[in-house]
Amino acid sequence: MSLLDIKNLCIWYENEDHRQVVSDLSFQIQKGEFVGLVGASGCGKSSAMLGIMGLLPENSGFSCERFLFRGEHYEKKIETLRGKKIAMVFQDPSAYLNPLLKIGQQLTETIRCHKTCTKKEAKERAMELLSMAGIHSPETRMNQYPFEISGGMRQRVVIAIALACEPDLVIADEPTTALDVTVQRQILDLLKTISQRTKTAILLVSHDLGVIASVCDRVLVMQEGKIVEEGTANQIFYEPQNPYTMQLVEKAKAVMSVAKKKEKGVLVLESKDIGCKFRERLRWNKTCTREALRQISFSMYHGETFGLVGESGCGKTTLARILTGILSPDFGKLWSKGKVQMVFQDPYASFDPGYTIEKILLEAIPKQADHTKEVEKMLQLVGLKPEDRWKYPREFSGGQRQRIAIARALMSCPEILILDEPVSALDISTQSQILKFLDDIQQETGISYLFISHDLNVVKHMSQRIAVMYLGTFMEMGDTASIYEDPWHPYTKQLLSAILVPDPKKAHRRKKLIVKEILKQEEGTEKGCPFAGQCGYAMTRCHTEFPDFYQFEDRQVRCFLYSEEHTGRRRAGAPMISQI
Amino acid sequence: MIQYMIKRIVIGVLSLFVLVGITFFLTRAIPGSPFESSNVSGEVLEMMENEYGLNDPVIVQYGTYLLHVIQGDFGYSYENPSQSVTSIIAEFLPVTIMTGGLALLLAIVTGVSFGIWMVVSKQKIIQRALFSGTILGTGIPNFVLALVLIFVFGVKFHWLPVAGGSEWESYILPVCSLAIYPASVICRMTAHLYKEEMKKEYVVLAKAKGMQWERIVWKHVLRHIWLPLFNYLGSAAAFLLTGSFAIESIFTIPGLGSQFVHAISNRDYTLIMGLTIFMGTVVISIQVLVDLLGAWIDPKIRRSYEGQ
Amino acid sequence: MFLQKKNKMLKRGMILFCILALLALFVPLLSPWSCTDMNADIRNMSPNLQHFFGTDKFGRDLFVRTFYGARISLLVGILSALINGIFGICYGGFSGYSGKVVDILLMRVADIISSIPSLLYVILFTLVFGANEMSIILGLCISGWIETARIVRGEVIRLKNREFCIAAGLFGKGKLYIFFQHILPNAAGPVMINLTFLVPQAIFTEAFLSFMGVGISPPKASLGSLIQFSRSQMQTYPYQMIFPTLILVLFIVSMNLIGEGLKNMEKVREEE
Repeated sequence: MSLLDIKNLCIWYENEDHRQVVSDLSFQIQKGEFVGLVGASGCGKSSAMLGIMGLLPENSGFSCERFLFRGEHYEKKIETLRGKKIAMVFQDPSAYLNPLLKIGQQLTETIRCHKTCTKKEAKERAMELLSMAGIHSPETRMNQYPFEISGGMRQRVVIAIALACEPDLVIADEPTTALDVTVQRQILDLLKTISQRTKTAILLVSHDLGVIASVCDRVLVMQEGKIVEEGTANQIFYEPQNPYTMQLVEKAKAVMSVAKKKEKGVLVLESKDIGCKFRERLRWNKTCTREALRQISFSMYHGETFGLVGESGCGKTTLARILTGILSPDFGKLWSKGKVQMVFQDPYASFDPGYTIEKILLEAIPKQADHTKEVEKMLQLVGLKPEDRWKYPREFSGGQRQRIAIARALMSCPEILILDEPVSALDISTQSQILKFLDDIQQETGISYLFISHDLNVVKHMSQRIAVMYLGTFMEMGDTASIYEDPWHPYTKQLLSAILVPDPKKAHRRKKLIVKEILKQEEGTEKGCPFAGQCGYAMTRCHTEFPDFYQFEDRQVRCFLYSEEHTGRRRAGAPMISQI
Repeated sequence: MIQYMIKRIVIGVLSLFVLVGITFFLTRAIPGSPFESSNVSGEVLEMMENEYGLNDPVIVQYGTYLLHVIQGDFGYSYENPSQSVTSIIAEFLPVTIMTGGLALLLAIVTGVSFGIWMVVSKQKIIQRALFSGTILGTGIPNFVLALVLIFVFGVKFHWLPVAGGSEWESYILPVCSLAIYPASVICRMTAHLYKEEMKKEYVVLAKAKGMQWERIVWKHVLRHIWLPLFNYLGSAAAFLLTGSFAIESIFTIPGLGSQFVHAISNRDYTLIMGLTIFMGTVVISIQVLVDLLGAWIDPKIRRSYEGQ
Repeated sequence: MFLQKKNKMLKRGMILFCILALLALFVPLLSPWSCTDMNADIRNMSPNLQHFFGTDKFGRDLFVRTFYGARISLLVGILSALINGIFGICYGGFSGYSGKVVDILLMRVADIISSIPSLLYVILFTLVFGANEMSIILGLCISGWIETARIVRGEVIRLKNREFCIAAGLFGKGKLYIFFQHILPNAAGPVMINLTFLVPQAIFTEAFLSFMGVGISPPKASLGSLIQFSRSQMQTYPYQMIFPTLILVLFIVSMNLIGEGLKNMEKVREEE
């Protein structure tokens, strides 16, 4: 007897077109199983999950031929299952926790909702749940509000809430999409541990094949509201039968490849020891200065792609803004050969919604007498029709909007184009289209890209050289291939080990990622290496001194492990090797 | 939190200074004010001159006046010099507070409950009727409403007394005509906030936890509704106080409002000044209090001022 | 729930307002009766074909007087909303764009001024500068702009860091260009809603003051003073009170309808 058995689930929305988002969806889940559900965004994954939970919005319709849970029929009373037997973890933990209630209260109310117990018992159980979800010092966390803890921690709280009543099935809907790579790895590890320890079945929904491959035993592939293929992880990833699955797997694997090496061209941009300070208001009368960027030196050459990776909040965007001239650096020098333009992460947000495409494109250049030809030429270059210039941005799809954004940036003939997370909001198939398109443009115009992303696979696929950034400074810089094969800096190593590959066998060989949790930076350590608090190799020196950016041929690394004092015995002329 | 309190109170005190300043200088500019006119009885003029030092420079006079005001001394009524403004305020304040307080209470209770009813109700007729009611409620000026109520309940049907008396029935009409505007505003606000909050993701999570609808509303949603509603109370208080001018004189209730109108029609400038400053002070204090309590309710503000 | 009615509400409000505004503009111009001339022969006449709203105890035609009053209401309402709107947009825009100390300072000044109930300002102004339209408008303009300024400031702060504004800056556009080309058009919704609600507030204040005898002075007619004037004869000649009351309420309701309609439109736009 399977745990959950669903047959012919249909969901539609009662708007003008009565579109059916889920049609005749049927699948089963066994006890204690870890199942993945993969599909492009908009294929009806989330609607199906909300339907199973009975959480669909009012303007939608729902029908289901068979809804068996532990062999019992629940077609008409799905609500009775939720929270108790089936629990759910959502995508964006920041939105799903009530900002005005303490974490402890949000947990205990779940427990007391289904079980009769005293307040004290509920509190004890809540603390137990929080430590099971990998949260240290649960007692202090219980008294905090959601805005006082980090994003990863919030998702752990949501998971703890889901586990409150020992459900038989947990549905996790894109639980890691909004999180950083290292946190993503930790959350997935946590889910895996929970499923093994408590024998809870988990249904993990994701658009990312890497996520699915790293934890799931069985995979369902969904396309346009239907399951098109079903099988073990190995079957799906190594012997896909359905053409759609094949295409998905192929595209995901294609991104894994390393970019081709290129000849170094002319120098187009050089930055020397750029630094930037932000003043922050701690309280109404106290401010503190935070160094958003620290000693950033690098150069870019004609026709190359320079990748910049780092987790959110590490200063990537600030650096991009300094390079384009929106912000001016507080220290250091910056030189560039030609114009620097930028493509923003969310193309839609970078267009004024009241402007037509023509107006948007024309804003990028000074006023001229005849500009129709230029607009037409540019639209053709990015693969759009000349008639499109009368349309508004909302009439285009995500991929087309990104093309328009690139077209606008190219209007003023820049030498360098900064691409700030250009594909992270796009589907895997659109993603590869845009990446290919960017490549073509580079071939044609010889423009240089600064490619910023948190997605390590995409950066690897696009860039010849990369820099790894952490808390405002470059930790390591060099050839993409050599850094990915053999990371020198402890942070790079940690970051790269968090990469998820769409390859279950490789994923299973991986060790669990262990990351030290830093609660608060100790007094007097702000001067040291920013990574020292989390570094397994940290020496006393790391906490008090800021390391140099040591150079070895075309590779640079900011770590005392590579200082002369540490590697002094090295023979002159011998190549540097990884010290970790 | 103490720092936030200090900051908010400083702003309140500055507002008071501006209020006193504007009142003082404007009143001085009035043609035929007691400070300049010749038709004032010698006795009063002498008293004024002694009190305010009329031969000093204006700034010094302002300072002296301010000093008096801080001590709660607004001078003597121009029309009735034997009575100090302070004693008039003390005499008429309780009635105004009572009607205003009752109206506020009525507005909150009916506003919130009708607001939620308006959204929750499945019947289109009830929704529409309530919504049209709020549109009308904010559309009718309170003095017009008072007259209409008098006309209907007092003159036509003789159900309720139309003029001031000490018995409780005579307060029904004034309290109602004061309360309807803020009640309509609160009703619409509640309905809007409730609808917006029910769309939020945290409600979905609460449902996913398996919580009952009533508990979700009570434990989660109402908390979010309270905060903006609470902030509205400041302006509601201002509205009720100024509304009392008309309502009290229409229903001949012996309160501060009717005194103020009386003072205006008699051009009793010291009384006008005193009452203006006093009422301004009341409104400013209520606003400061509401802000402080609002900050106390909102954990984000509270935590950002708590220690580190 | 109310979204289906969005256009209906706006439409009804607009139609009502336009009718009233046209009547207010043209009735005093075209009517054979004068607003101030008294005529002892036609005192306290009930509504009839010659005098649609009847006459008052001095024999003045109430139809003309009511719409003359409505005209003053309209003038006060629209003029004060305009002045407040323009000043509020400038102040809020400047404050939001400057940021930092200037912003904090400007907003504190606004806080200080807005703490005092605006009716007190208006009463003082009418006492000092005489009972006429101008002093009422002036009084309303002391604190009326603050809400607009706050809204504009909020919108500027929200929009100036949006990517399309940053992008415009990247292409070498100036701050003023960005303010007028990108920020103001995108902030137009909330600002318009705020301005529509300023009009009925001003109309209410004017009527309130005239009712209390400190607004528009006697020979001239105002809706508030007409209501006050007819109060003493409420029992014998109720029509004298009903008509001005009705017009006043319709005026305020029509503006409220327009405001609510705009609000719903804005909500729909946001959801898209």
